Parts: sequence; structure tokens; C-alpha cells
Amino acid sequence: MGLLSAAAGRAEVPVFPVVGVGGRQAAEALWLMPGIRVVDSPRAAVLLVVVGRLTRALLHPTMLVHDQLPGPRATLWWPGAGGATPDDGAQGTEDLLAALPDVVTTVPGDTAGLLAVFADLLSGRRPSGRPALVDVEYPRWRGVGPHGHGGEGMMGGVPFGRPLAEMADDPDGLMLDQLPLRVGPFFPAWPPGLILDVGLQGDVLRGVAVGDNPYRSWPGDEPVGPLDTALFLATRTMATTVAALEVARARHHLRWLSRTLRGHGLAARAQRVGALAQSLSVDDRPVVEALARRLGRDAGLAAATSGVGIVDRAALERVGIDRYGGPVARAAGLGIDARTHDPAYADLGFAPVIHHEGDARARLRQRAAEAAQALSLAERAGEIVRPPGRPVEGPRGVLAPREPLPSSALLALLPDLLDGLEWGDAVTTVASLDLDLEEAALDQSVATWPARTSGGPTGASTTGAAPTSTGPAPTGPAPTSRVTP
Amino acid sequence: MNWSAPLPGVVLVGTVLVAGAYVASVLDAGAARLVAGRPLRVGELVAGPWREAALLARIRRSTTERPDAQTWALAPALLAAMAGVAVATVPLAPGVAVADVDDGIVLFGAAMAVVMVGAFLHGWSSNSVFPLVGGYRFVALALSYEMPLALVLIAAALPAQSLSVGAIVESQQGLWNVVRQPLGLPLFLVAGMGLAFWGPLGMSDGADLAGGTGVEASGPDRLAWALARHFVLVAVAVMGAAVFLGGWQGPGLPGALWMAIKTLVLLAVVVGVGHRVARIRLERFVVVAWAVLIPLALVDVFASGALAL
Repeated sequence: MGLLSAAAGRAEVPVFPVVGVGGRQAAEALWLMPGIRVVDSPRAAVLLVVVGRLTRALLHPTMLVHDQLPGPRATLWWPGAGGATPDDGAQGTEDLLAALPDVVTTVPGDTAGLLAVFADLLSGRRPSGRPALVDVEYPRWRGVGPHGHGGEGMMGGVPFGRPLAEMADDPDGLMLDQLPLRVGPFFPAWPPGLILDVGLQGDVLRGVAVGDNPYRSWPGDEPVGPLDTALFLATRTMATTVAALEVARARHHLRWLSRTLRGHGLAARAQRVGALAQSLSVDDRPVVEALARRLGRDAGLAAATSGVGIVDRAALERVGIDRYGGPVARAAGLGIDARTHDPAYADLGFAPVIHHEGDARARLRQRAAEAAQALSLAERAGEIVRPPGRPVEGPRGVLAPREPLPSSALLALLPDLLDGLEWGDAVTTVASLDLDLEEAALDQSVATWPARTSGGPTGASTTGAAPTSTGPAPTGPAPTSRVTP
Repeated sequence: MNWSAPLPGVVLVGTVLVAGAYVASVLDAGAARLVAGRPLRVGELVAGPWREAALLARIRRSTTERPDAQTWALAPALLAAMAGVAVATVPLAPGVAVADVDDGIVLFGAAMAVVMVGAFLHGWSSNSVFPLVGGYRFVALALSYEMPLALVLIAAALPAQSLSVGAIVESQQGLWNVVRQPLGLPLFLVAGMGLAFWGPLGMSDGADLAGGTGVEASGPDRLAWALARHFVLVAVAVMGAAVFLGGWQGPGLPGALWMAIKTLVLLAVVVGVGHRVARIRLERFVVVAWAVLIPLALVDVFASGALAL
């Protein structure tokens, strides 16, 4: 046993990250840390790493995930991830710490601390974490149906808290079982915080609804953690160099590429791109250009993404993204880009990159090409400084004072876009939109943000782009759908 | 030694499977590091699989609500047993075969067909959504793997005029099937990769399902499943080396060593492809299998038949 434990203690540490407010970047850095392996299922993890602050809506899902770690298990909290402070309205975190008194709080990115907790756990010096939740006795089945479970016949209803399948039409005109399922907020193949309520007919999605955004679940939860687009938002009040903006854009797109490659089963290639993003500078232009060419030619990726999740002009207009531009719109042939009319870019010979297919492949090539283009612009921009206040082209689209942020509009695309897709294609589609639930949550407080200049990107109104609602979110199952009794 | 006696046979097959699975894990980790551009630390690579196995052995088993416990335990055992049956049919050196039966490739094909049952049961047993979707994915794809697999093996049997793996190895004296039937090995490896749900054909345990059939497994169960899956991959590589790369034949070195080297090469190819090629869409693969792979396999059979006449 001693030998086994000693060998086990030197294995790569299987970690399941739970991403709270302001935690996304620190959580993604986990993928690059030596000696750590990020796993897809809590069942495979020994350590639960809570990154950033938890809102109240994230508390219950976090506890569900925690209790699915088989043990020996321990929970780490990286509170200040991305600059947020522990007492920054983190009610959910306080509740978590109350429920799990043995949570270890360390500095984000503290590999040594993480490995030490793991070693203590395996050697028995640290006891395995106790369950956060107690077993719930569900009330006896009630309602109609011969088994009193609330549905009809053998179908439907919610016996013992588990929704049963109902019959529904399928695309071929047959009546088939449709299982209601809530997936999120920590489903690893989706952006953190995304909750989708779907009906599953086999592995085909029917009737998709976006759940409440858990990053903004209570009036007290102010999601002001730094976003991945923080630098772009800061241009409202701050002068920045064009070079800094463009390197940040390239880094953003490379991070997205890394996540996307991982989603397509290419974890090792994802790691290489992720490492490149982390240390990115203007000098990496040739590397990024070569990467963009390679990804554009990659036959496997082409087969996995072409024809999947087509966003056409009508869909863009319906949710209002035609006003934001951004890679999703440009990949569908809409050449809107705030940089076209930005005086700071006037001498750089900027012309937007455009693809026309509007599918996941076009979006992949779009972002890869824009990353390369951004570094090329950064190289040419030299010391050009961009004055504050003008609408700026962010990595997801135009950011302008008093305008909703692009993620809200992108989120509104999902229900129509995913309906009828096979599960794998739906995951590819969601990933291809580069959603950020924190940005969408922040959106609801956009009116309180300082606006230095007036006038939106195209003078458009703010209607049609606020799909998420506020209020306490119903908590639901976490990434996997079963809880150990 | 009489390798077809129960004890030596089990020991031989078990050794090949475990050693092969270990080597495949080391190769996999090494390929991942190369592709990721991280330093290749040989010490860590060599110790990695043992440490990982030790950790999984230390992690507790977990269960779900109302699982089908018997079939859950059966699934990896079934996969491992079928890999064992497959390896048993292959002569690993001159005269060293556990069961070089007259219809060896038929037995191999049958064993590989039962892999589908194991993969489905693994998805079914945990009574959870994503594993079940993963299990059905494998069922949807299994025929698309098994058809080309059976056809290229039949083509390889034609020049030998025998279904015995030993006879097929003998028939490659002077000219390996990889040259004589250039379509055979690539098709065989694609099908084999699918049967071990590896790399681009790992749809049933894919990242888009958070691990598919294995989502709910923890600790020893996870270890058993990973081992069983590696065993299938090893069985495919061993059979590929025998049927397409001339088996134990080769100059200078002992036959067993040639067999090991050839198996290693095939494992390296499969593992390398796994890190380079994106996961394929289910629907697209079925279309490609029936519109391209199976017709190519038929061409392989007809061409080999014409040559054999």
C-alpha cells in the first residue's frame, strides 16, 4: 500500500475546475501547468479547484460537482483570480466556505501549493473532503398516471426529482422520446456558466432554451471581475497603443483556438496554441501566420466544422449582431469592423478579413486569420496611440458606450441555431461563437458605466439584444446528470 | 513449449496485452508532449503509466443511481477478453501461437464484433445520459468499422489460400502484404482505430460528451476501462503487424523481436494520428465509410483475388 500511494502521489494531478466570476483565465492556465491534468468529469478528479468568486446561483452546482468527486478529494479556492478580491460581494463563496470548512485557499496559479495538497491527500495526512450536501429524500411519486409520478402512462413527470422523457415529434415526422435535460453551468465543453435546457431525442437537440446567467443571479452579485476583453473595455476612458490592442486581440483569438482544438479532441495541439497565446508578442507574427495557414488547410478540422452551425445574415439581423460586426458576422460575409473608420488605423492599410460560409469552419478560419492580421497590424502600428472614447472593435465585436456587449447578442443566437443539431455538432457550434457569460452578465449593468462620448457604433438602438434575464436562477444538476445517493 | 496449453497461453497473451498497453501509453504521452511542444522527459514518460494506474487504484469507486452493476463490471472484462482472443490467433514468433486456428481471421473478426457489445454496455450500465449517448454512438458506427476490417482481412487471406493467421504470415515471405495490397493496411488501421475508439474515431468517449461512456466511472473502474481499450488497440496492432507487415519474418533479428518492432510501429502510427487529427463527425464518418472505405476494401478484395488467380 505504501508503494502504491507513493507512486500515486507522483502522478499527474487530475483537476476539475469550477469557474466563478473573474476566474476564466486562471482556470484556462491550469491546462498549461506541468504536473496537472484537467479532466472532463468530476468522477475522474482528485482536486476541485474553484477559481474566482462564486455567485449564489453557482453555489449549489458547485456543491453537486464537489460531491461527485469520488475521493480522496480536496477543494482549493483561488480567490483573487484576475484581480477580484475575496470580499467582493462573493456571497456564494462565503456559503461554500461555510459548507466546506476544509477548503484550501491559495494564490491563483500556485502549482506548488496545489501539488502539496495532493501529496498530503494521497499520503493520508489530509483527510478526504466531506460531502457538501446531504442526501435528499424525495417525496413519494404523486400526480396522474398509473404510477403516480406526474406524467402520463409511463412517460413524463418528475419522479424522484428526475424528469422523465415525453413523446414529441422528431424531424422525420415520427413520435419519439424526448428527454428534458439541463446541462451546465460547468459542462466542460461549453463556456463556463452557460446553462442550456434542452430536449434530447437520442442525441439530437430539440427545443433549446438558454438558462439564467449564473454570473448574475442576485442584485448583490456584481460581476465586475476583469473580463478577457478588459483592455478593450478600458479604451472608453484610457488611451492605449494600437499595438497593445492588437496583440491582445491576437491573444484572445489564440486562446479561443486553443479551447476549440481541445473540444475537437486535439488536447496536445491545444496546449501548444495555449502556450503561444500566453507568451504572445509582436515577434510571433510568422508563427501565428503559419498556424493560421495550417489550421485553414487541416482536413480533419474541415470535416469536423464545415457546414456546422451556419449563421446567416437573417439570423444575424434577428439578434442584432449585424450591428456589432465581430468575427461571427465577418465569417458570414458581413464586413463590419470598427477599425475601418478608426483614425488610429488610418495609416495601417486595414481592411477587414471576411469569410462567406458562415459555418463553424469559417469562424475558425476567420479568427485564425484575424489573429495573424492583428499581429501584422501591431507590427506596423509602432507607437501609434489611440485616444479614449471612440467605439472600439473588440474580439467579439464593436464595444461602444451605452451599447450592449456582443456576448448577449451571440447568446440569443443559440436557441434557433442548436435546434435539431446532433449533440457533437451542437458542441462545435457553441464553441465556435466564443461566448462569454460574464460579459453577458456585465451587460445588464452597462447603463451604469461611464460613457465618454455619445453615439453608438451605427447609431442603433439597444433593442433585440438582451436575451438573459436576471433574478435568482433555479439551481440544477451540474455537468454530469447523476448524483451519488 | 506448448503455448496452446491453458497456463502458458494465458500468461503469453496477458504479457503481450499488458506490455503493449504500457508501451502504447508511453508512446501516447510522448506523442502528446511532442505535439504540444513540451520537453520530452523520458523518466516521467516511463514512470507515467504506473503512477497513473496507482492513482486510479487509490481513488474510490463511485456509483450512480440504479446502475446496472453487473454489466458495468462486465464491460471492460468483455473488451479485454476479446482483445485476448484476438491476440491468441496470431503467431508471435515461428511456432509461438496460442491458437493459430484454421480460421484465425474469422475468429479475430468475431472477437472485434463483440467489442461493440462491451462498449455499449459500458455506456448503458451507469444509467446516465452522456454515457448512454456514447454507447449508442458506438453501436451506430460499429458496422462501418467491421465491414472494411473483414474485407481487408479476406483480401489478405487470398494469397495465402488460408484463413489462418500463421499461413497469412508465411505467405508474405519475400513480399509483405502492405506492398502487395497497398489499400489493406490503411483501411485496417482506420477500422482498428474505430474499434478501440481512439483519436479521431473516439466519438463514443469524446470530449464533446465529457468522456462519453466513461463519464461516471472512477478509480479502479476507470483504470479497467482504460486498460481494456488499450488492449483492443494492441490486439489491432499485433494483427496488423502479422497480416500486413510480414509478422515475425525479417532478417537478422529473432522473429519475436521483429514482431515487437512492427507492432510498435503500428502503435506509434495510430497514437500519432490520434494527436494530429480532429474528432470526426459521426454522420460524416458513416457516409465516408460506406461511400469510400467499404468500396475501397472491395477493390482490395477483387484486386487481390485477381492477382491470386
